[in-house]
Amino acid sequence: MRERFASGFDPFVLPFLIGMVFVLGYCAVGILRILRQLPREDRKRFLVSLVTPSTALANIRDIFLNCLIHVKLWKRNKLLGFMHSSIAFGWFMIILLGHLEVFIYCPERIHLFYYPIFFNYFVAENESTIGGALLFFLMDFFLLLILTGIVLAMVKRARSRLFGMRRTTRPSFLDTIGLYSLWAIFPLRLLAESFTAHISGGSFLTVPANWVFRQFLGNDLNMLPTWWAYSIALGVFMTVLPFTRYMHIPAEMMLIPMRNAGLRIRHARRGFAKVEVLSCPGCGVCIDACPMSVKKANIKDCTVYLNRQIRRGNEKRIEEISDKCLLCGKCEAVCQVGVEGPRLRVAQRAMRRYAINQDFSAIDTSSLVPEAAGKVLYFAGCMTKLTPSIGKAVCSLMRKAGVDFVWMDEEEGLCCGRPLLTAGRFAQAKELVRKNEEIILASGARTLVLSCPICYKIFSEHYRLPGVRVVHYARFFEELVAQGRLQFEKSDIFYVYHDPCELGRGCGIYDEPRRLLGAAAGITEAPASREESICCGGSLGSLTLGFSQREEMTKAALRKLYESKADAIATACPLCLATFSRYSERPVRDLAQILDARTKQTAR
Amino acid sequence: MDNRKILVIGGGVAGLEASKQLLRLGLHPVIVERSERLGGHVAGWYKLFPDMRPASDVVNQLVEGVKGATVYLNTRVAYMNRLKDGFSVMLGNGTGLHCRAVLITTGFRLFEAARKEEYGYGVYDRVITNSDLEAWFGGEADGRIPDNPRTVAFVHCVGSRDLKAGNQQCSKVCCMTAVKQAIEMKEKFPDAEIWCFYMDLRLFGKKYEDFYINAQQQYGVHFVRGRVSEVSEDIAGRVVLKAEDTLTGHPVKLSADLLVLMSGMLCNRDTESLAAMVRAEVDSDGFLRSRDNICNVNESNRPGVFFAGACTGAKTVPETLAEARAAALAVYNYMSGND
Repeated sequence: MRERFASGFDPFVLPFLIGMVFVLGYCAVGILRILRQLPREDRKRFLVSLVTPSTALANIRDIFLNCLIHVKLWKRNKLLGFMHSSIAFGWFMIILLGHLEVFIYCPERIHLFYYPIFFNYFVAENESTIGGALLFFLMDFFLLLILTGIVLAMVKRARSRLFGMRRTTRPSFLDTIGLYSLWAIFPLRLLAESFTAHISGGSFLTVPANWVFRQFLGNDLNMLPTWWAYSIALGVFMTVLPFTRYMHIPAEMMLIPMRNAGLRIRHARRGFAKVEVLSCPGCGVCIDACPMSVKKANIKDCTVYLNRQIRRGNEKRIEEISDKCLLCGKCEAVCQVGVEGPRLRVAQRAMRRYAINQDFSAIDTSSLVPEAAGKVLYFAGCMTKLTPSIGKAVCSLMRKAGVDFVWMDEEEGLCCGRPLLTAGRFAQAKELVRKNEEIILASGARTLVLSCPICYKIFSEHYRLPGVRVVHYARFFEELVAQGRLQFEKSDIFYVYHDPCELGRGCGIYDEPRRLLGAAAGITEAPASREESICCGGSLGSLTLGFSQREEMTKAALRKLYESKADAIATACPLCLATFSRYSERPVRDLAQILDARTKQTAR
Repeated sequence: MDNRKILVIGGGVAGLEASKQLLRLGLHPVIVERSERLGGHVAGWYKLFPDMRPASDVVNQLVEGVKGATVYLNTRVAYMNRLKDGFSVMLGNGTGLHCRAVLITTGFRLFEAARKEEYGYGVYDRVITNSDLEAWFGGEADGRIPDNPRTVAFVHCVGSRDLKAGNQQCSKVCCMTAVKQAIEMKEKFPDAEIWCFYMDLRLFGKKYEDFYINAQQQYGVHFVRGRVSEVSEDIAGRVVLKAEDTLTGHPVKLSADLLVLMSGMLCNRDTESLAAMVRAEVDSDGFLRSRDNICNVNESNRPGVFFAGACTGAKTVPETLAEARAAALAVYNYMSGND
């Protein structure tokens, strides 16, 4: 080993150095600003979690698995996963090995940022030693890995379908610069290292390349320009990085520990939300997932574009996108970094100030309290009231099972508060929640059964009902079946079960309805089901989508369900039922209706 | 003119009246009716506003008038092909025809009230539609109608002027039908309270307004301006309606022994495929598209294809009959080359 330059410096490192210092400085300031934006308790929680061994370990594991290996992408599409992990992990290994080299051969230079990156220019090592041969081999190996990834990335630009993506994002101007500089970095590194390989050593990639080059360009004059080019590519990439989608690389390393610390979005633009927005890699997986994207005009309303507009500060579009969304949650379910599209939008809606705010605190609940001491209480909610066959079936099933129940809102009832919550009107939603809590607690009931998943979500997440069990009927009836209080006779009709957004992605109930349905009828699966189920288009979540705009979404969702070749469609949400019934060519039934029609009289 | 055959698709009042006039004009109408009787929807009706004339009278008179025409009952049109001098037609019963012109009088179908599930048709026992009630007036038994109802409610605009139900159009006749049926119910059950829930009352025809005033003054029918939001059932099996009285701004609740839904009009399901056979167009409202909505309502965009009655939009009986006569004349002019 010998150092080629006593000074350990050459001007070509400057572009890289400037870019590096800029990006590190930018990130440092960013971290401080985000920490300041966090509410006090959140900040404390976050900092404590960083030094708590269990969360610290989880952070390292998650960063390794998600940022470097991209396990979620592998699960989605192997080619997509390989492309990302080859670039990310390969680059990480090259940086790591570079530092290792400096550490082994010239530890006194470790404080120089650029030394590990341009090691082969400054240090001449002979690959005949075991250490050198191994390190050079690994360096070339990982470079090859990255180059494979880059080639795949280029193919993906032209043929995204090979990677399981029908549509991808249109990159912005700076994104394009970032993209091309990123693509340029590694071929240039190969070129630069190849030109120096006969001096500084190399391996299976760089040595033959060096040999070829020297056949044509028999001097070393090309050495310096290629190292300059390599450094400039790095410099450009790092300088534009904060303003491109590649900001997701540093941001995700912040997002993972924050999420592991249990932080939540408290403000649409600040703190945790900001980190989420910056963590969006702009991959566009959410475009195919979004039910609105069946209409081309709506593609720009997907979460990836919301993030872009938030970064640009385009207030008009941010508001438009936030109000339009159905809040079905599929973008979040498929998101590789876990950007919470619906929460971001609701937080945005909460920033709006209304001239008139209803006052629910004055409602007198005393006349609404049913006598239900120790009994089961059934809350139908407005949507079930509009689809009376569901309410009727639920009551009939409970009667058949001998459940002693009272229908809480049979005569009059209050709204569960969820429409206000999704509109971002938290204070008002809370007033309604408190009123309903009063009614339920005063009734003395022990169990609250719900037939509407929209209500169920807010009841299970926002209601404080000590001593009362809140349960969706699917779970409740399954228990009654287990106790032998309900039995079904299997019909020969085949149903495809549509997972309602609120029940599936919203509350994680996927299997109970399927098991119940399977006991009463035949069951098939649609191509997009469970976490990837497609919103019926009727969702209360959207504030601005018109009726005719939703029609195409409903029809698209139905087409996917028809693919299962089932005779009829089953669901467990009154809103899905009403929406699908409007356009479906096949019968649509609520699970409760199907069960009620197939009960066997038990010998109780 | 050797071939004087005109294909008339649909034997409702429009088809019958048009055929009668075609006969008088010396042409030969061939009526193809898919059901087993002539008269269409009107034949299932009991009495017609505003003179309360029995519908059977009108239908009998019309059927009388088509003696001499060829009538195929229980028959559908299998296909039609345009030829140089007319249309080659194959009927479902295997008959082949060569007709000079086609007159489409396929009428309408009633909105399926069960699709507005919040009103409980098919879910609760005491909910019926306007046509169910009319059939009951005409003597058909209906277990859903109690022996002595104390309260009867009518809901207007069920499946019409309703984007969510897929039909934005006003069905025109239901306001007046509701007023008529309310009076008939009151005559049958003088002690009953009758309530009508409406968005707007569209009483545009001759004597309609008199009918409405009479319903209030003489019969004491209550009219509430506001849509019904939901319907439920109480323990006694009565239906409970919730609505908003938009004139007073208060929510109202009503328990009724019978709920009558005024189902609106939609275009018949087969009309679209029939229209496609002769390349006639369907309008954005789902009904057939006239060549011009002012001067050529009876004519399609295609030569030799004519329309009459509710296949181009909701119409009352007198309007339909007037249009049928106009259509017959339009066909005659087409045949004689007077266009």
